[in-house]
Amino acid sequence: MNDDIFTFLIAGKAGQGTKKAGIVAANFFASLKRNVFQLNDYPSLIRGGHNFSIVSTSSRKIYSHYMKADLAVLLDQRSVKSHRNHLTEHGLLVYDDSTGKQEQGIGIPIASLAKKYSNPDLIVGVAGIATLAAAIACDRAILDTIIQKEYQRNAQDNLSYAHEIYDKVFEKIPEQFIIREGTDTHPILTGAESIGLGVSAAGLDLYFAYPMTPSTPILHFLSSQGKKLGVRTIQPENEIAVANMAIGATITGARSMVGTSGGGFCLMQEAFSLAGMVEAPVLFFLGQRPGPSTGVPTYTEQGELLFSLYPGQGEFPRIVASPGSIEEAFYLSAELLNLAWQYQTPAIILSEKHLTESSMNVDLEPGKISEVKPAIHTEGKYQRYRKTDSGVSPLLFPPSKNMIKWTSYEHDEDGYTTEEAEEISQMHIKRRTKRESLIRYLQQNIQTVNEYGSGDFCVFTFGSTTMSVREAIIHAGLSCTVVQPIYLQPFPSWNLTKFAGRPSVVIEQNSTGQLEQLLREKCGILPMNSIRQFDGRPFDPEILAQKLKEMIV
Amino acid sequence: MNQELTTPVENTWCPGCGNFGILNAFKKAVQILEAKGVDRTYLILSAGIGCHGKIFDYVPLSGLYSLHGRSMATIQGIKLGNPDLKVLTFAGDGDAFGEGISHMIFAAKRNADITVIVHNNGTYALTTGQFSPTSQKGFKGPSSLEGNPEPPINPLSLMLEAGATFVARGYAGRIDHLALLIVEAVLHEGFSYIDVLQPSVVFNNTYKEYNSLVEIIEKPAERLEDAVQRAKRFDRMPIGVFYNVTKPVFHKEFYGEWNPVMNRLSHEERLQRILSILNNRSMKEVEDMKK
Repeated sequence: MNDDIFTFLIAGKAGQGTKKAGIVAANFFASLKRNVFQLNDYPSLIRGGHNFSIVSTSSRKIYSHYMKADLAVLLDQRSVKSHRNHLTEHGLLVYDDSTGKQEQGIGIPIASLAKKYSNPDLIVGVAGIATLAAAIACDRAILDTIIQKEYQRNAQDNLSYAHEIYDKVFEKIPEQFIIREGTDTHPILTGAESIGLGVSAAGLDLYFAYPMTPSTPILHFLSSQGKKLGVRTIQPENEIAVANMAIGATITGARSMVGTSGGGFCLMQEAFSLAGMVEAPVLFFLGQRPGPSTGVPTYTEQGELLFSLYPGQGEFPRIVASPGSIEEAFYLSAELLNLAWQYQTPAIILSEKHLTESSMNVDLEPGKISEVKPAIHTEGKYQRYRKTDSGVSPLLFPPSKNMIKWTSYEHDEDGYTTEEAEEISQMHIKRRTKRESLIRYLQQNIQTVNEYGSGDFCVFTFGSTTMSVREAIIHAGLSCTVVQPIYLQPFPSWNLTKFAGRPSVVIEQNSTGQLEQLLREKCGILPMNSIRQFDGRPFDPEILAQKLKEMIV
Repeated sequence: MNQELTTPVENTWCPGCGNFGILNAFKKAVQILEAKGVDRTYLILSAGIGCHGKIFDYVPLSGLYSLHGRSMATIQGIKLGNPDLKVLTFAGDGDAFGEGISHMIFAAKRNADITVIVHNNGTYALTTGQFSPTSQKGFKGPSSLEGNPEPPINPLSLMLEAGATFVARGYAGRIDHLALLIVEAVLHEGFSYIDVLQPSVVFNNTYKEYNSLVEIIEKPAERLEDAVQRAKRFDRMPIGVFYNVTKPVFHKEFYGEWNPVMNRLSHEERLQRILSILNNRSMKEVEDMKK
């Protein structure tokens, strides 16, 4: 590798604490002022199976994990089988040799040493951290501090177990890795946490969700931290209730959001359309996993891009945007909540498991986020659907001496049901006008497309794949321009058509090229190449860099 | 809002429809509630889709005219947004026990502080008279020419078993009695269910039957089992309050006295707290050791 990337991999059964060890390792690297990216890979089960966590770290900003590890700690035979070839040139494999079976690498009796402690299954994650500490020549006192802070249950057991592992690895390791200190420390967040903080900053009051991977981490984060942030979480009986309750809450002025994944979002189509008709500003989070149907619940995909653009029946303005990094997720989620209220229409944060459940260090400035107040009625007779130049009617919340009627039927300006031809047309025009105002606002005030790097060759991508692409390009030192549409509905063709005619590739995580279709249809961009991956796994930047190198000559 | 509770919207219910009785009873109930100190501006309405739903356009009160089967979810959301409001929805029997039955059962189970008034006419009238969840077995409609093959749901016993804390039955032909039931339901803290016997003059004209069968209950049953037993009587149609108990309500179990729109954290306070969460993220102990 041409820069100082170091990758730590820990793998084992569900319940062995590999994810926790990954998080601890990431925080440990962060305390060395290094940048980190952590990926958790796990199947849909609670005990057994095969889980792993990868932490890649560098003294420069890093946007992806790498599949090849410098240090791999493999807690069971299945992990050895799966990962024995996932090593860098000088990579070191540390495995559990409790069964007596010999492998390439350093055997440590990880399981049998754990036997004398309470919870021998749960404690083995500690072995990963102790191995890491020994392999990078970290002082034992520092290891103790980490263990005491991060593994507080049965702390004494954890400490003595960590010491045993540390000493054994230290004794057997041929040469230690040198990890340089970086320059700055920044907190580490998952994408889900970043989204939760972003919407809290923009004034979210209520978060409604029915559990579904990969949106569940937002529900969990806001359930644990929301109260502190002024947000409450509610888990109703199904996604239909989720969306309808959120719409109900908005009419009181409460800023409301729902979180779901593809299947749950299907159940919300009817309510999404209701939100469009009554003009309820609800923010939806749509987390993608491989589909169709139940699909592959705990893995990643971008197969719902086109599905997300036109949810619900009928014509009304929809807003869809997808964050290209964990940092961007913070600002964009806040921006979408604000836009929903400014234009009184449903908005969607479109993302993927790879973003919500991966983590990286972030440099966030909450002060940059504002809570944009919606248009509020001040005097005179109130009409919920009063026609205005922008199409946006001022809001008013109960209790009020004025009558405030939000109506799912086509309605007149007062909110009474109508079937009159002229009124039907007028309300269609009002909603269409809102969309036109929204587009003007996006054009004038909002960054709708990101561009990274320079070079004639264009790499189009979106969502979390942007992170994989940026990492691949930095890693391989490629000269090209990454073009990431942040907004997908309305599609920001005003910022994209200039790229037509340039040599290009579209990189996305689906099999049919949905972003490519949009670029063709909306901007007349005819990409020359495409790289698509749809096996549920995010791209490995090394493999992606190889493919890109062949295209950018 | 005018005192007479009228709107400029043309009433399009069939002459003689039981819905008129419910509308008139509701208007009376609003007047009585105001006399009891419930300001009408705090009374927020919803309705489902069907003949019953038109009532939303016929009273000049605020609210959200919802979807078929979803209005009880809508008003639970309104209540969670601002618990100071009194929320009430009108629903049809198709709304409440066909499309939206899960919301009904869960609203009762969690004792959401809402009132649901079901205009139970035993038919899908606005779609021209098909059988509904509460249609009698054998009911003939355009989709059941040889008679409805299913037995009806018993809304009262279902709501009692699901945990409703206020369960009543009214009759569209007894307006003053129904008005008082609505007042009691709105004042009840918890999930209030009123099943209203509503004749549909065109598709299921039950006036004659109900006029001879209804009999007023003097007081609610003390035990749930007795209320359920009364709900299962078919020789007579008891009307009145079947059951009325006090239990903790959902939003208070959940929030205590907090009110999302009245007790909002200021923007500055939120930003401060976000900063403190971010600052607590790093492994400071290790950094300190390195100093």
